Parts: sequence; C-alpha cells; structure tokens
Amino acid sequence: MTGWKRIVRDAIVVAAASAAVGILFNLAREEGIPLVAESPYEIFVPCPEPLGEVDAVLPTSGLLDQVEIRAGRTLVIDAGSSSDFSSWHLRGAINIPFDYIEPVADQVIRRVASSRARHVVVYGDGADPDSGRELARELAGRGISNIAFVEGGVQALKSARGAE
Amino acid sequence: MNRLSRTASAVVSCPWLILALRLYIGYVFLAACFHKIVHPAMFAVDVATYDILPLAVINLMAIVLPWIELAAGLMLVAGFRARAAALLTSGMMVVFIVAISIALARGLHMSCGCFASQGAVEDPISLLTVARDAVWFIMSVWILVFDRNSFGVDHLVERLSAWKV
Repeated sequence: MTGWKRIVRDAIVVAAASAAVGILFNLAREEGIPLVAESPYEIFVPCPEPLGEVDAVLPTSGLLDQVEIRAGRTLVIDAGSSSDFSSWHLRGAINIPFDYIEPVADQVIRRVASSRARHVVVYGDGADPDSGRELARELAGRGISNIAFVEGGVQALKSARGAE
Repeated sequence: MNRLSRTASAVVSCPWLILALRLYIGYVFLAACFHKIVHPAMFAVDVATYDILPLAVINLMAIVLPWIELAAGLMLVAGFRARAAALLTSGMMVVFIVAISIALARGLHMSCGCFASQGAVEDPISLLTVARDAVWFIMSVWILVFDRNSFGVDHLVERLSAWKV
C-alpha cells in the first residue's frame, strides 16, 4: 500500500473509531443528547443594524427650555414603551418604543426624516445600556443627522423638571 | 539556485519545526474539543446556529466531531500516525472555514463556537476568524506533507523494530 493510501486509510479508521466512541459515550452518560434532535432549535441570531455616532446632552432645565422654544425645529423622541409614554413624556415628544431585537420600521424612519426638524433629541430609560442612546445610534446609522440623546434618560429629565 | 532550493527544502521539512507545528495544532484541537465533549447540548446549539446542516444530523455532528478532534489532537501530540491526524485536522479546518464564511456572507452576528459557547458579544466571527483558521489549515497541510516521524510514538516503534532485527 502506498504512503498516501495508508494515510487516508488511517484517517478514515480513526474518524470512524472516534465517532463510535463518541456515540457510545453519549449514550452512556446522563447529559447525553438524542442522536436526532426531536424539535428544531430555536436560534436567535440578530443581524446587526448599522449604528452611527451620537452626542450626549445633559438634562438641564436649559435643555428643556431649548427643546420647547425650538418646538417645530427640534423633534423629541421618547424611546420608552407605550405605557411609559402614556404615564409621562416631555411635551411635544413622539413615541418610538426601542426594541433590542426588532429594528425600527422603515416607515418610522421615513416619518422622522420627513419631520423637517433640524435637531433630533432622544431620551430613553437611562439604564445601562440606555434605550435612548441605542435608539439614537440606530437612527443615526440609518441616515438621521443632528441627533443626540439625553444623558440619564427619563429619570434625569424628571429630576431636571422637578428642580425648576 | 540549487543550493538555495536545497536550503529552503531543509527549512520547511526541518524535524524541529514539524514537531513544533504538531504540538501547536495538537494543543489547539485538544483545547477545542474539551468544552464540546463536556457540554454536547450547548455545542449542538452552536452547530444549529450556523443554519447549514439539516436538523437530522445536527446532534450527530455535535456528538461525533469533538471526539475526532480529540483523537487527532492526541495523535499529533503523541506522534502516532501524525500525517493521518494532520489529514483529519486539514479536513476539519476546511469545513470550519466554509461554515464561518457562509455565516459571514449571510451577515450573521454570532460566536464561532470553536472553543466554548461564548456569546456573539464576547467572541463574534469575523474575517479574522477565517484568517486564523486558514493559518491553522496551512500548518496542518504542512505537517501532512513534510512530517517524517522524527519524534514520537511511531519513531520509537520504528527504532525498536530495527533494534530487534
């Protein structure tokens, strides 16, 4: 038998023997898995959305004045859930609930883009990671410019409002 | 020119270089198989995540592949049928490179599942993963082509046989 034939034969024998040992070991152990999966695996593999760079703004009372004075020129977006938005939101804000799994719908992007606002300010839950920052980055990555997020999110805004 | 090619040939087939490659690739495969053997269910999820194999063979692959990695790794380290082991590691590297390339082409943001079931955040696949596997493939082929049993079990057996004769 030539050298290469012998190498191929050895490789096949080793692969077959290893496979047999693996199957027997799997059958013998408690943590073994069925040879054929009983139901399809539920796999979640997100396709990453393009993300852009965004600025942070501090939730000072000055910011609130600025936002309200520039109403019409500044679009304020609340990234919280619909129920959170119903219980409290900044005057004039629109609600775009941020979802870590589902990307923002194209029609929502079009709505933001057609608002003619010169600036966009997003606030979220202020957690780590902050849903406001994540939504702002997603919007920036999808072509919305002059966009910033409120550092500290809704809680910081409430505190700033209370401090006035 | 002849002298240059002879020198190059001596370098690429240097027994110490081949030994170093054998030990390195053997270690890589031993390290890779450990987690998969201990946690077959997690490795099956990693295999399924690639979304390439039909459901009927995902578990079988998850059960069998780590044991072939273990055998190939041990054979390379021990110097027992090292070229056959290198043929196995070369074949496995080709499979891994193809699988990761398909996942990258689909834009999947996932872990390669090569060494442990890490999340996509800690160990995402990228072109670097493909490049790393390509280097390991070249090393495996190098062993396959140039290994001459200079160290290890096969070498000892040969010497013992010669001594008996």
